[in-house]
Amino acid sequence: MNALRSRRFIMLGLAPAVVIYALFVFVPVVWSAYYGFFNWSGIGESKYIGLDNYVEIWHDSVFWRALKNNVIFVLASVFGQIPLALMLAVILHKSNPLQRFLRSAVFLPMVLSTVVIGMIWQYIYHPQIGILNFLLDALGLESWKLQWLSDDKIAIFSLVPPLLWSFVGLYLIIFISALQNIPGEIHDAAKIDGASGIRKLVSISLPMIWGTVQVAIILCISGSLKSFDLVYIMTKGGPAHATELLATYMYNSTFTTYRYGFGSAISTTIVLISLLLIGTSQWATSRKKKES
Amino acid sequence: MRTPGNTSGHPVRRFRSGIVWTLLTVYGILTLYPFYWLVISAFKTNEEFYSKPFGLPGKWNVENFSNAWESSKLGTAFGNSLIVSVGSLILTLFIAALASFILSRFQFRWKGLIMTFFVVGMLIPIHSTLVPLFILMKQMSLLNTYWALILPYTAFALPTAIFVLTAYLTSIPRDIEEAAFIDGTGLWGLFTRIMLPMSVPALSTVTILSFLHAWNDFSFALVFINKTGLKTLPLAIANFADGYQTDYGLTLAAMTLSVIPTIILYLVFQEQVMKGMTAGAVKG
Repeated sequence: MNALRSRRFIMLGLAPAVVIYALFVFVPVVWSAYYGFFNWSGIGESKYIGLDNYVEIWHDSVFWRALKNNVIFVLASVFGQIPLALMLAVILHKSNPLQRFLRSAVFLPMVLSTVVIGMIWQYIYHPQIGILNFLLDALGLESWKLQWLSDDKIAIFSLVPPLLWSFVGLYLIIFISALQNIPGEIHDAAKIDGASGIRKLVSISLPMIWGTVQVAIILCISGSLKSFDLVYIMTKGGPAHATELLATYMYNSTFTTYRYGFGSAISTTIVLISLLLIGTSQWATSRKKKES
Repeated sequence: MRTPGNTSGHPVRRFRSGIVWTLLTVYGILTLYPFYWLVISAFKTNEEFYSKPFGLPGKWNVENFSNAWESSKLGTAFGNSLIVSVGSLILTLFIAALASFILSRFQFRWKGLIMTFFVVGMLIPIHSTLVPLFILMKQMSLLNTYWALILPYTAFALPTAIFVLTAYLTSIPRDIEEAAFIDGTGLWGLFTRIMLPMSVPALSTVTILSFLHAWNDFSFALVFINKTGLKTLPLAIANFADGYQTDYGLTLAAMTLSVIPTIILYLVFQEQVMKGMTAGAVKG
């Protein structure tokens, strides 16, 4: 095989992947940072305004509200989904029929479109026809009935159960496959040493799959920062920005109020925050590992 | 051996595992309840939403489904979803397989850099590209065409696809390609006749992940498509719900119809889907 021909093959073979990926993923991210310096309505002239958009973001109460809501989502996912999925994985990682059935049940929402998930939950929370309020009635808990999605104090928390419901399956499967990869001898050795149950989980299984847990945490963070569909479908960020997320705020700024520059600046901020959070979590989880 | 499912042994232990399994069964039922509710409610009349929120419909209104199918133009939406999902799937599989073949079997400068370049893509929040992509598409006159979805779906599927395929191809022993070269197979032949058939398990993982992602996507379709005839399934369902807000049975029938294909696919390829999700976990 001559070197020149294989060089040409390498370049031609990589070109389509690199070009499509660069054009539709990489360049837009860089462009977004650039557009962030302009005041532009999408049509007509754009005007260079330096850091004004970023300064505005810094002083914008809606932005901080959106960021806070995003942080609520991140915390709910990391401290809700990960422990729940770990617990379920420990119980369900063998393969009897009931275990297989439960695994499939927990995983099923993963194959649905977020649009459908959002709509199902919108109906569950519906003040008149929603089964949640019917259920509370039936249990004699009328006073607990709420306007789940239109009360600005609780709306953001109402969005957490659908979030957990739809993604727990993913982490469950990841943890199960990690647990199944632990060599059998380690369990045998633990048994001889008399470790079992919770003890075995904490001192053997958990440290052994810690790398996977770290990956799951990163996924959780970047996944929660990507949340858009669910909130867009269920509340559109309302009432009065109570459920606004960074992504919905970006969407509304750009495509509802036609502030392309400002929307781009928010996009860039989302990328930066996401990298920052992932970096921090990496640092925190790897430090924890060293300590233990 | 003590496993949670093992009911033999000490009575206290048996009691404890009984509780665990009861709780789990309840959890499983709770998880499935929204699906059950969706399907039975799709047969109901509006009055029954108030009178029997939990019960089965008195009369099973099958016509909800035919009415929903017609008034929501679900057929067109199915077709559009199929075109963009299959289109981006074919493109992804071919492009990613070729790139992964090269990244896993050749040594060259920039290789590490190119790998990093792709892996970083798995962490980029998709929505942060919406605004610039919208502008790019507008300039390329791609808005309101199938390409406006096929190309970004492909681009966003590439990192995971390359990640999964490269890992798999790296594990294929070197002897095989040496044997192929001795038999006079060229690079292209090695790729199409040997590597592709050998990586079918990894390719099916990528197929499932990319297909589900494209089929279920909402945000790209929302921004890049506003022509009714080009709307994909999630977009059509969301629009339909906005228009028929108070006709509950009809809306739920449309939703049920839209989830049937993925649920059937899931039930058939369950093991593969789960494996695929694990392999592609880094995508999130």
